[in-house]
Amino acid sequence: MANNEKGYLALVLHAHLPFIRHPEYDDFLEEDWFFEAMCETYLPLLDIYERLTAEGTDFRVTMSLTPPLCNMMADELLRERFRRYYNLRLELAEKEAVRTRNTPYQDAARMYEAKFRRIRELYEDYYHGRILDGFKKFQDMGKLEIITCGATHGFLPLALRKEVVHAQVKLAADDYRKHFGRGPRGIWLAECAYNPGDDVFLRSQGIRYFFLETHGIIYGSPRPRYGVYAPVYCPSGVAAFGRDMESAQQVWSAETGYPGDHRYREFYRDLGYDLEYDYIKPYLHQDGVRRNIGLKYHKITGRVPLDQKAPYNPHEARDVAASHAGNFMFNRERQIEHLEGFLGKKPIVVSMYDAELYGHWWYEGTDFLEFLFKKVHYDQKTIKMVTPSEYLSMHPDNQVVQPSMSTWGDKGYNEVWLNGTNDWMYRHLHKQAERMVELANKFPRAAGTLKRALNQCGRELVLGMSSDWAFLMTVGTAKSYSTKRFVSHTHRFNGLYEQIMGNRLEEGWLKELEWKDNIFPEMSYRVFSTKEMEKAAKG
Amino acid sequence: MTSSGRLNKENRGPEAEHKALPDGYGSTEAALLPRDPNWMFIYWEISDNSRVNLKRKHGADIFEKGRQVIRVHDASDGAKAFFDITVMHEARSWYVNVQEPGRAYFCEVGLVLPDGTFISIVKTNTVSLPAGRVSDVTDEKWMAVTADFDKLLQLSGVEYIGKGSGEVAKSLAQRWEMLRAVFSRASSWGVSSMSSQALHKQPEEARKFRLVADCELILYGATEPDAFVTVAGRKVSLNPDGTFSMRFALPDGEMGLPVKAMSKDEKDLREIDIKVRRTTKTDGK
Repeated sequence: MANNEKGYLALVLHAHLPFIRHPEYDDFLEEDWFFEAMCETYLPLLDIYERLTAEGTDFRVTMSLTPPLCNMMADELLRERFRRYYNLRLELAEKEAVRTRNTPYQDAARMYEAKFRRIRELYEDYYHGRILDGFKKFQDMGKLEIITCGATHGFLPLALRKEVVHAQVKLAADDYRKHFGRGPRGIWLAECAYNPGDDVFLRSQGIRYFFLETHGIIYGSPRPRYGVYAPVYCPSGVAAFGRDMESAQQVWSAETGYPGDHRYREFYRDLGYDLEYDYIKPYLHQDGVRRNIGLKYHKITGRVPLDQKAPYNPHEARDVAASHAGNFMFNRERQIEHLEGFLGKKPIVVSMYDAELYGHWWYEGTDFLEFLFKKVHYDQKTIKMVTPSEYLSMHPDNQVVQPSMSTWGDKGYNEVWLNGTNDWMYRHLHKQAERMVELANKFPRAAGTLKRALNQCGRELVLGMSSDWAFLMTVGTAKSYSTKRFVSHTHRFNGLYEQIMGNRLEEGWLKELEWKDNIFPEMSYRVFSTKEMEKAAKG
Repeated sequence: MTSSGRLNKENRGPEAEHKALPDGYGSTEAALLPRDPNWMFIYWEISDNSRVNLKRKHGADIFEKGRQVIRVHDASDGAKAFFDITVMHEARSWYVNVQEPGRAYFCEVGLVLPDGTFISIVKTNTVSLPAGRVSDVTDEKWMAVTADFDKLLQLSGVEYIGKGSGEVAKSLAQRWEMLRAVFSRASSWGVSSMSSQALHKQPEEARKFRLVADCELILYGATEPDAFVTVAGRKVSLNPDGTFSMRFALPDGEMGLPVKAMSKDEKDLREIDIKVRRTTKTDGK
């Protein structure tokens, strides 16, 4: 029975948001990114895992939960604010379920009411506000493999100091141990950005594998015998899995991708703009500006203006998601059969996506995944779903290849994070890295306030390193927020540095920064020392 | 390419109200970063101290006499090749194009005197660029026949390389409004205008020899961080230190790029008018 399959499918979802938390404001717009993703992606995924487990459907999925995301999920303040957020949405959804009686929107309104009730139930009754425990539960069952990511999703190929590369990996691994009770076996390199040689720092944390964009593998040297359909070992012994483009394109193609189906929910048409102002105002931000609030009653319909979109039918959309899941599986079966014949070996197809694609942007994407898990389990024998760890223990004999520098960004290299909109950042970022290393080397055993200040320097540095800031500058969305964030972390770092070097620390200011930028509460600045980096590099 | 003006360093306005990042850190240093198989980014700073020393050693007019250049060295084993890029004295960063990917490079920033003497001021780290193509190296134990390997490349989706669907996904998922602007070629804020359609393609032939070439335009400058700047009538967002740069598609013909900056109090207006002409000739084969 067990060995009848012709190949493997590894589904990898990359869940990440930058660390956004502003205790200095009562109400902060960009914190919504996290709350929206909680309601639309993270909790709905847990809901699926709960249901599949309850009904006895076996499944395998790999998810990166990045350290910023874990820190936000565990944070007291954001937990309170998330409660406020979903309670307001639930209140509105309940009102709407009444208001839309005898209108074509009733089904959609009822769907939101049920959805937000379920979110409350999961968040409060299942996980008691500790959503990470939910993910851990499925990891402990062996169905979900949680992997980590650089400490703040730092873009490693543009870091000059290896001390900082090491710190991004080590801080992440320590944070992972704290939340999940064991070390990470895999890592998602932010933006799949790989710089040859950096894998030694993964090895030093016991990390066994990471993921690459297709050309990271096929431009590797020597030529990879199986392309992206088998992992390769870097010279350090860490395995690299390459992305399968066929399954990526099936979801992402602008023309033929699933999410564009006309029966799916329209993202642009949102109640935040549709409803009477006084009625919707309590659910907007304090500034009272109309924005998307996440309740949407229309389907894509076709190429028609927003005011001509037809009412959304949740049941119809769910059926479409089921048939798309069937289509996806059918294509993977054919692909895997073909590859197995061609390669003379069971291929592994690695399908990698942003987690937030499912549910947030493609609303029915979570239904799609649930159907896919079920169909793979019940309806076929060609494919076996695996996690990379499982694959490596079954197939430990792999080719040694030095993968190529690569990213999953536009054009495949570093340009998205290094162009005219953001190249000015690196002068400052590198100076901070150099100063941080200098501090860590100069004060090997700091204590008291000095130690706190040094730790805070480390936090400001890594927060400024988030690849998100450079990315947002490139795409031009939230550009002023991302610029402000980068500039303020730089100022905070430099201010602390000058105070430390001038031996004139202002404790009040330090306290304020600890309160504002509280990521990695237990971190130690020593992780930035040259000695630690050298030790790690030697393995 | 002709430039009808130079950035004027005098008449600096009052300090920007918002806290801008420092211009530099008062030390002479340079760094080189990899962008893709053919491009690197270099930034540098030459401290006042270093300038004074250079003047003391080579004469007070050394910066007027000498051209500032970036000397790009091939640092691969055994190579001794280098080439120079002349840049204006105010430049503090540059995108460096190299013909050969897959090699290691480092740069020196320095001055070239009229007699050709090179005075090195600062040196960068070394960067190894990716090859950007399939490796020539095969290993015995894992060897595949070439025909099979071509097929394997196809199956691996070699045609999608650099399409960045992950990025498309992310921007879609994050915020929608600006998306069309990002992918429309009209965008002027730094996303490269290069796309495969723009390349002058040679017809497919049985022989595998090919030549593809195109060029783009980078415009850059600096003003006060709080100034209002337009290029060709379009508003430009400034970096926190007041610098700006843009990359344009460069089709054949003449293109005018008037750059205007107005001070925050609207009392000063500066203009630099740049005109560029491109002529492309292909042998038609």
